[in-house]
Amino acid sequence: MILSPTLTTFITLLFGVITFVLTMFLPALLELKKPRDAGPRIITENSPTCKMWNQLSISIADMEENVLKQAFTSEITNVLSVLPNLET
Amino acid sequence: MIAELLEVFFVFLTFFMVAYLVRHYIFTLTILKHANKRGKAHNINGLSYQPRVSILIPARNEERVIGRLLQRITELTYPKNKMQVIVINDASTDKTGEIAERYKREHDYIQVIHRKTSEGGRGKSSALNTGLQNAKGEIVLCFDADYYPQRNIVERLAAEFVDPEVGAVQGRVIVLNEPQNLVTRLVALERIGGYCVDQHAREILGLITQFGGTVGGFRRSLLESLGGWDETILAEDTDLTFRVYLAGYKVRYVNDAECYEEAVESWGEYWKQRYRWAKGHMQCAFKHSLKVATSKRLEFKKKIDGLLLLNVYFMPIFVVLSWVMGAVLSFSKPQWFNLFWASIPISLYSFVGNFAPFFEVGIGTYLDGRTRAQWLIPLLIFPFLYNIPICMKALTDLLTSKILGKNDNHWEKTNHSGNGNSYIMNQNNL
Repeated sequence: MILSPTLTTFITLLFGVITFVLTMFLPALLELKKPRDAGPRIITENSPTCKMWNQLSISIADMEENVLKQAFTSEITNVLSVLPNLET
Repeated sequence: MIAELLEVFFVFLTFFMVAYLVRHYIFTLTILKHANKRGKAHNINGLSYQPRVSILIPARNEERVIGRLLQRITELTYPKNKMQVIVINDASTDKTGEIAERYKREHDYIQVIHRKTSEGGRGKSSALNTGLQNAKGEIVLCFDADYYPQRNIVERLAAEFVDPEVGAVQGRVIVLNEPQNLVTRLVALERIGGYCVDQHAREILGLITQFGGTVGGFRRSLLESLGGWDETILAEDTDLTFRVYLAGYKVRYVNDAECYEEAVESWGEYWKQRYRWAKGHMQCAFKHSLKVATSKRLEFKKKIDGLLLLNVYFMPIFVVLSWVMGAVLSFSKPQWFNLFWASIPISLYSFVGNFAPFFEVGIGTYLDGRTRAQWLIPLLIFPFLYNIPICMKALTDLLTSKILGKNDNHWEKTNHSGNGNSYIMNQNNL
């Protein structure tokens, strides 16, 4: 039996569409059936960059506090040094 | 005459689709170009900047997740004497209030505001405004009850405010319950494209970076001068984003300030959430488009990006319109036939993946090292198609309420199952 040109076109088109859809969705179906993805992403708080950032942040904050304390103490000392000694 | 009008409109719609496509290509190429510089994004200037921060947590019937967040808040590395945490128990009928009270008793920096049934349940904006009235910090950060931030997130976000031009900041959202089912997996892909590529590229290019409503915050003085959250807008985050830009400030996106969220787990919940986003976004488009276009404070590139961002939820409707009009034109004018077929791949190419096209999602997953997740990208066709009726209904309802003069912008709360807890426990055991 010889197929009519219209039917041949239709069958080719149908075959093409089915192949396209299968090719498109097969990997997705495989991944859904047996997931191998490592998700969800682990948030970066334990990454080396993050730890470094934290340490740097803390050390700068501490440093600033120390500098402020030192500046304050030296200021007080300067004031006290010029005051008359009340005990004598 | 009608056919000519249709032709003009068809060309207009196709132009818009191509504009969005080009925009997303620019975003993706920008991220690829900056892929090797990702580690240099830390704000060194803000390292020692530790202002007093108020964290607002609006919660309505969140007993399944609120404890997890409050426990995490107690584990944050930010100095507790510079932190004020305000839980706004929005007339919950479950144990949300009790759980929050328990944490309040144990930690003096945690406060709980209980809203009565008569004043509660009017949406997140209303609850946040109540929190804002009690906030004392220079910076106000917001977290939804189902979120779970990284321990140093406050430092990361607050550091950006060392720049006086920064009015708001936004961190990255990561889906926690991703392996749950197909819906959560697809939402996770959308989030990767939306944050890792879209938002990050906008930050690099100096465009309109969007405040996403949570995992971010504002300079309190600015927020108060803007009048807080607008309770009549369903997308209060987009609304504030544009109000911040129009006031002459910037919103900054910090890609490595990461926070987990629980994604919706069913197509029904997906509809509810996206319907609210679509309707709210459209409200913002009506409210801000003209202001953005005529603003003297915004650069030209920000105006273009702002207008595209504001009108993004109209695009699924434009896509359908272009298909229908293309079909009509192809019957009435056979020479249009090819153009009609051309519009389909353009629209699909631009929009598969719900506003973050597949190539953006692909690059996002690649940069996250999630190459296997890329296998699911073709399935983004389903949320793409699902968003068409969602956006159409949102627009119809919005126009109906505008014509009838009714304000039926009821806040549909997203329900959280607490299923993310098991993933947190798994990660803590790693």
